[in-house]
Amino acid sequence: MSEQVSELLDSLRAKAERGDLLYIGESVVRVDSLEKVLGSPVYTADLIPKGTVYAKLFHSSVPHGIIKRMELGQARSCPGVLGILTPKDIPGLNESSAVLPDRQLYADPVVRSTGDILGAVVAETYPAASDAAARIKVDYDPLPAIFDPLDALKPDAIRIHQKGNIARQMKIRKGDVEEGFSRSDVILERTYRTQFQDAVPLEPEVGLAIPEDGGVRVIGSMQSPHHTQAAVAKVLKLPPEKVHVIQAVTGGAFGPKSDETPFDVCSTAALAAVKYRRPVYCGLDREDSMVMHTKRHPFVITHKTGVTSDGMLVADESRLVGDTGAYASLGVFVIVRATFHTVGAYEIPNVKADSFLVYTDNTYSGSLRGFGGPQAIFAIESQMEELARKLGMDPLEFRLRNMLVPGKKSATSAVMDGSCGLPQCVEKVVASSNYREKAARYRNQNGNLRRGLGIALLMHGNSLGPEGNDYGAVHIEVLSDGTISVGSGLTEYGTGAMSGIMQVASSVLGVPLSRFKLERPDTSKHRESGPTVASRVVVIGGNASKQAAEKLRGRILPLAAELLKTDDKRVTMVDGMAFDRRKPSAKVEWDTIVAEAYRRGVGLKEEGFFMAPPAPWDQEVGQGTPYVQYTWGALIVEVELDMSTGYYTLVGAHAAYDVGKAVNPNGVLGQIYGGTVQGLGYAMMEELLHKDGAVVNPNLGDYYIPTSMDIPREFKAFIVEVPGPLGPFGAKIIAEPPIVLPGAAVRNAVLNASGVSVDDLPVTSEKVLMGMKLRQAPRTH
Amino acid sequence: MSSLELYSPTDLSDALHFIEREDKNVAVIASGTDLMPRMRKRQISPSVLLDISSFREDFRFIRQSEGAVHLGALTTVSDLLESPIFYGRLSVIREAAMLFGAPQIRNVATVGGNVCSAASSEDLIPVFMALGAEARLVSARGDRIVPLKDFVVGKRATVMRPSEILSEIVFAPPGGNSWTAYEKLGRRNMLIVAMVNEALVLTLEDDLSTIRSASLALNRVSGKVPALAPKTAQFLAGKKVDDATISRAQKVLASELSLSDDFRGSGAYRTEIAQVYLKRLIERCSQRLGGPS
Amino acid sequence: MKRLITLNVNGTDHPINVDVTVRLIDVLRDQLGARSVKEGCSTGDCGICAVLVDGKLVNSCLMLAGQCDGRRVTTLEGLLDDPEMKRMQGSFIANNAAQCGFCTPAMLMASWDLARRASSPTDEEIKVAISGILCRCTGYYQIIDSIHQGCKGTRR
Repeated sequence: MSEQVSELLDSLRAKAERGDLLYIGESVVRVDSLEKVLGSPVYTADLIPKGTVYAKLFHSSVPHGIIKRMELGQARSCPGVLGILTPKDIPGLNESSAVLPDRQLYADPVVRSTGDILGAVVAETYPAASDAAARIKVDYDPLPAIFDPLDALKPDAIRIHQKGNIARQMKIRKGDVEEGFSRSDVILERTYRTQFQDAVPLEPEVGLAIPEDGGVRVIGSMQSPHHTQAAVAKVLKLPPEKVHVIQAVTGGAFGPKSDETPFDVCSTAALAAVKYRRPVYCGLDREDSMVMHTKRHPFVITHKTGVTSDGMLVADESRLVGDTGAYASLGVFVIVRATFHTVGAYEIPNVKADSFLVYTDNTYSGSLRGFGGPQAIFAIESQMEELARKLGMDPLEFRLRNMLVPGKKSATSAVMDGSCGLPQCVEKVVASSNYREKAARYRNQNGNLRRGLGIALLMHGNSLGPEGNDYGAVHIEVLSDGTISVGSGLTEYGTGAMSGIMQVASSVLGVPLSRFKLERPDTSKHRESGPTVASRVVVIGGNASKQAAEKLRGRILPLAAELLKTDDKRVTMVDGMAFDRRKPSAKVEWDTIVAEAYRRGVGLKEEGFFMAPPAPWDQEVGQGTPYVQYTWGALIVEVELDMSTGYYTLVGAHAAYDVGKAVNPNGVLGQIYGGTVQGLGYAMMEELLHKDGAVVNPNLGDYYIPTSMDIPREFKAFIVEVPGPLGPFGAKIIAEPPIVLPGAAVRNAVLNASGVSVDDLPVTSEKVLMGMKLRQAPRTH
Repeated sequence: MSSLELYSPTDLSDALHFIEREDKNVAVIASGTDLMPRMRKRQISPSVLLDISSFREDFRFIRQSEGAVHLGALTTVSDLLESPIFYGRLSVIREAAMLFGAPQIRNVATVGGNVCSAASSEDLIPVFMALGAEARLVSARGDRIVPLKDFVVGKRATVMRPSEILSEIVFAPPGGNSWTAYEKLGRRNMLIVAMVNEALVLTLEDDLSTIRSASLALNRVSGKVPALAPKTAQFLAGKKVDDATISRAQKVLASELSLSDDFRGSGAYRTEIAQVYLKRLIERCSQRLGGPS
Repeated sequence: MKRLITLNVNGTDHPINVDVTVRLIDVLRDQLGARSVKEGCSTGDCGICAVLVDGKLVNSCLMLAGQCDGRRVTTLEGLLDDPEMKRMQGSFIANNAAQCGFCTPAMLMASWDLARRASSPTDEEIKVAISGILCRCTGYYQIIDSIHQGCKGTRR
């Protein structure tokens, strides 16, 4: 045997020894990278055919009122206008809501926020539609409006919805907090507030509808094609099969594209397409997107916490109020996640929590990466810092004393098992940041530039948990040229998760990822697999993909064995080759096996399906196991703060996440960097502001997200792997977790640098400086 | 917007005659970095855009002649950064240019556009005001020179007549005992509309410990208008460079400023920052001159 | 109002009759098929519409096409065969710099432009070069790594 062949076989053998972990843990190139660096025209706006007309949504100009009259005449007669869609044009239901049936597609007659859509202008060009929309005049009978969620809870508050202003309530009752407080040496009560954050996916929401075959084909930027299909079908009064929805390559999502806006945009495009028998493009520009799509819920969270003088947490009572704005959207689940995470990654024997999802006349909130986690963890991690200070304890030591480790119980009394990798995460970041030495040094600083370290710890329940049935399907089909085509109703929008689950299949089949192709999610081809949210693709989709691949391998191996003239059990597939382990010189290539399968009529298409085990919990007391597994993490941020201005820069970030098993390490790191920076934006600079219900800064010149100049000078990210029970190869979710911790970590770092506690996000230089003046803290001026 | 007209004159004389006789609502456009977003947000609706971008060769220059620096109106911010002259005593121009927007904006945004928009978001105006710059305004009926401090009369309001175009900014570079400095603060590190932006030209006596004169300008002094802070400058003249002077000057500045709140920040905070920056700018200039720090 | 302009895009002269209100991005995308140019904010704040005009990186959403007569525009489509761009693209792929991909063409244009001017740029120089292009997915780190590698000269 020649040397080259022998080397090849040795390397194959070595790889074969990895067994099922072949390709897992390798930073392979994502399947969809090439089209992105080529600038290929694969996004919705790139697919507009000739003859398409444009729909521009128009929205309310009052936060709460009843529409008296809409003056459409001037708009209708503008050049290029085909017509104006209003509720009268809806053949089916005037509904566009993701969970509770509390929201219409076109508000009529009651408007509850300035983001409420009233209708759409359809014109030959976008500028024509836009000009016409500016000429629409609407008269309202105004109603008193509520903008503070605490006002909405008052007994005399005007009812924004008939059933009242509380969209959902939740409780946790663990142990006896009063008894706990009586045993506590120190009790601290503080209130924390978070702001509206906008997801800012760089591609705003867009949809294209083409009349087809008694129905309509819809192509759009979205997270959940089947939900969009159902929504559009309801509006158009068509059977779902007549609404064919395809997810185009999507330029970022982060949550709002799994809520109502894709329904709004696609239903409008579909309505117009059917009415005017033309392809219709309905795209939101940035301003429309920021006014109309869901935001992150602002929360007001009060914690009253009791602790012993030696730093053991005894009791915590929290009240969480989330402002869901005019409509509940996914807020009904955001409040659940926030409540379950109200005491974060710590064991507290007595926990009481009462939470309220409240309507106001602000624009509405829904899904946004983290989904209640960032708000809840900001509050508890800030509270932990304040408690440590009050006790005179080092903030790290205080956390170590109380953090969840295997054997300890969460707020819902779930016992943490051996898959809890929190201690490892903490260890990594403490070492990387040189925390202990620096914290000691930073306790005594003079001078105008001061440094501070801030810590936050993460516990993040995986996947949908208690939100409903958590399932997904993936089909894999081997085409005649050997290409492995993977299709699912689960979607890719930048996370790399779909490539990740294909990497799982690649591992099982022993064929490199470069032979794989991702099908565009298509309601006519792929089974409904729930929304692509909650970072669930790697866990749910990964298992389904693994199953489909295993079934396929079950058909391929016997065929390969036949071709190799050996027994199934002796065949190994690696790098697209099947070989007999005992006689490695005998090998057969993937393409040959596939050709043979086709010749014989052996079917090479399989579907995998996975449903997560139920997450049982008692709604009365908020106890049980609402999540089957958790992702764990730790973040230490170091800031350098100018005591004269309150302005600070990020010196370093040290992050570690226990992801169970990193399928694609580079991909995992990408999520850690990206999610952390989005969280740093939330911590430092982002706030979508309302004034009298109108959005003040719906554009990227007035709403600031981090640029390349704002990221930490040094960012050390660590992957910790403590396998969990749920995902393929023990994988845990990673897409959302990194956005959760920066709020508190920055806030605590700033506190340690400046002595100022900022209890409402974002932590701006103004709040820091004004906080110093209030305290009359010494500063060099 | 669909009835908008665009007129790209062949030369300056053509442009001047056009606006002399045009009675529709004309807006001059160079790079469009200020005008385009405002039109998009429907904050302004001109009927005609007078495109002067093609005068590049006539209006785009950086010249030093007879002790004066001349910046053509179409000089871009990138041109300022690439020029070899804005160092040392003139470093204030580089400092402002480096914090201006982002590369794509710097490559097209013009000196003239900055000054004519007269907004507190335009970073170069305080710098030019502190330098005592003048604007040359040309029209079909002749030219005139307006000191920049008199040029801006209100929020986005200038003394320019509809028939005038700004052709250049001129200033004398500060002399031997002078130094310049600039500070800017916003919500993040780059690509920001400043909350505070402040420029100082400080001239010391030959003893290098007493201030001969100062020229101070900010993006907002009263309301939302970029202007000089003459009371503070006047206070500084003749004083020794020491902590007591700086402390008192800060108080004068605080009383001179009348800053309103907006969604970026409160007037109180901006006033605080302006005072902090005053100290920094004085110390920096003094130190560079070899005076006390 | 319409105007006849000649726009050189990626080396080819295109005489086109444009409405004066039309922006450069509209002409590039809708009339000349350069769909790598993306629109993210319409106000010049996100940079994903960035192209090279007469060799300078500019936001195409802020330029009126009517002002571009005689100008030379370069988009990603025009650089697909350029060896330096290919090297940059390969580096982006290897370093996972493209997640959702929407900012990627603009990032590549800025990177290519930087690589022409600096064969071994520092971290700071890279950050400044892309400071006007927003990315919401990556946090910039893997893009910065890609640019280091993709520039001429050795990786830091």
